[in-house]
Amino acid sequence: MKTSILQAIKLHVDFRSRKFQIVIIALAIAAILPLIIGSEYVISEVLTPILIFAIYASAWNLLAYSGQASLGHAAFLGIGGFVSALIGVKLGLPPLIGLFVGAIFAATIGLLIGLACVRLKTWFLAIVTFGFSVIAATLFTQFDTAIGGILGFAPKLIAPSGLPLYYVAFAFSAMSIFVIYLVIKSKWGLSFRAIHQNEQEAKMIGINVAKYRLLAFVISTFFAGLAGGLYVQSSSYIDVSIFGLEHSLEPLMMAVIGGLATIEGPIIGATIIVAIESYLPTLDPLLRSQVGFLFPSVSNAGPYLRTLGLGIFFVAMIIFAPKGITSIIPKITSYFKTNKKSDKS
Amino acid sequence: MFDLSGLTNALIWGVATGCIYVLLATGLNIIFGVMKLVNFAHGQLLMLGAYIAFAASTALGLNAYLSASGINVYLSIIIAIGSVALVGVVLERLTFNRVRGKEKLTEIFISLGLISVFENAVILWQGFGLHQTVSPFQGLKVSLGSVSISYDWLFAVASVSVILVFLLLMMKKTKIGLAIRATSQKSNVAVLMGVNIKKVYIFTFALGAALAGAAGALYGMIFSFDPYVGAFPTIKAFAIIILGGFGSIPGAVIGGLLYGIAENTAVFFLGGIWRDAIAFAMLIIVLVIRPTGIFGEKGEE
Repeated sequence: MKTSILQAIKLHVDFRSRKFQIVIIALAIAAILPLIIGSEYVISEVLTPILIFAIYASAWNLLAYSGQASLGHAAFLGIGGFVSALIGVKLGLPPLIGLFVGAIFAATIGLLIGLACVRLKTWFLAIVTFGFSVIAATLFTQFDTAIGGILGFAPKLIAPSGLPLYYVAFAFSAMSIFVIYLVIKSKWGLSFRAIHQNEQEAKMIGINVAKYRLLAFVISTFFAGLAGGLYVQSSSYIDVSIFGLEHSLEPLMMAVIGGLATIEGPIIGATIIVAIESYLPTLDPLLRSQVGFLFPSVSNAGPYLRTLGLGIFFVAMIIFAPKGITSIIPKITSYFKTNKKSDKS
Repeated sequence: MFDLSGLTNALIWGVATGCIYVLLATGLNIIFGVMKLVNFAHGQLLMLGAYIAFAASTALGLNAYLSASGINVYLSIIIAIGSVALVGVVLERLTFNRVRGKEKLTEIFISLGLISVFENAVILWQGFGLHQTVSPFQGLKVSLGSVSISYDWLFAVASVSVILVFLLLMMKKTKIGLAIRATSQKSNVAVLMGVNIKKVYIFTFALGAALAGAAGALYGMIFSFDPYVGAFPTIKAFAIIILGGFGSIPGAVIGGLLYGIAENTAVFFLGGIWRDAIAFAMLIIVLVIRPTGIFGEKGEE
């Protein structure tokens, strides 16, 4: 196993390539940025969530990479979050162990759900996962005396919130995304892509479709569970609202806006969505004073106008740039390049 | 200890909610059958129907004559059906039409984006409080021994039956019904036979949306609703289609009634919190044991 990982790293990480330089620059920026910004609020409410959602969206994206869609990933986010927090609080184990146990627990549940439905059509899986997130929320609410999920509780923290927790999230985020990158570049990833592109042909060349789909599902739910544990750490609080529909749709929006089935897409998408969600509220007073009179039914139209705008942006994005923002950048640069050439001639 | 009349009431309400789910599932089923489109925003059309009916009946209710006879409510149902059908046409042209033939996931993503568009647009229009359309039969009931059936319930069941009979007649007897059935069987052959497939798609989506609008108008009379009411019915409608089988209207009717009854009996025995979970658990079990649905075609790849 160890050698195969080393081989994979040797094969797929080219230390001299342009991409590698970009990755190093991105890592350096992510490492230094909080030191420059310095604001406690920005670090714990914006930067840390970006890192955590980057893991979550990448996990969801891996599933999409194998041609499957989950509408209930919040179930695994929530299971990972609850299990990791409960292990710390009730059993008194170190929260770092809780984090891994939570992720493994989520992956085990993922395995069971996957076994039941990897053979089903794409959107069947979407419905089953959605249904499961509802069931999970109900179970955690129903056994409230043992769990305490309705009122919520505070988990034991790995590191004090603020800068230390940011670097914990940074380490986990970098490692998780690197592992997901290796999976995508490995033989497994090749099989995922083959299944996604044409399932019949994949079957014909001898790929065990059900097995690889299950594999993608388990890996994806593992990282979703890990993200759940970290999410609870960063919000230093957990209750049953973690199972909400919005948490199931967030990774989907992030992956699609950033660029589906790419490694950088979910990271870019997570950055954009988290930034929008944390910074656009500053526009609310302006929106209220300028257009608020148009909407007499709501006292503060701002949040709804924003979400409406985001929804329209998302739909337009899928129609006009189905490969996400990452696909627009090369288009723009090539557009400018061709323009320059025509200027010269 | 065992409350028989309570159980009977649960069954009766199961049939009423089931009827609404039947309308929603039938619309979804027709859209899926003809366009192979998986529209996750279908429940939001129900929500829109409920709001339009509510707004229309309130506006028309200002007229004393209309409100006294309850005509404002009947009219509002028709207005809701018409407007939601119109919304359906716009939706099909603006969004789904542009990604036809691309990957299945693309359509799913679009419909998911539309959920947030609809919900927030309705919040901006009507606020996010609970509403309920004042029905003309408020509080009227028929008592049969220990069980009482409200007029609202009878009205819902009767309207759904009328709509379904019209739908079946249209599918079997009219030219557009024939075109729809032909397209859902094999669209490329239908094109060769001179079916204008663009028209069929527009009409199908409008029809499905109209059924969702009707479901919404009835829902709004029986239950109170808020802008987030659509999410669960969509998934339940999918569950019903899976239970009842694709492309089959009778299957959707039986599936919908079964589902409504199962949901309400679960609430009766276990409590309200289990309403949605039990139904989904049932769905997952059916999918695992019999992926083709109870009556249905193949769901497995």
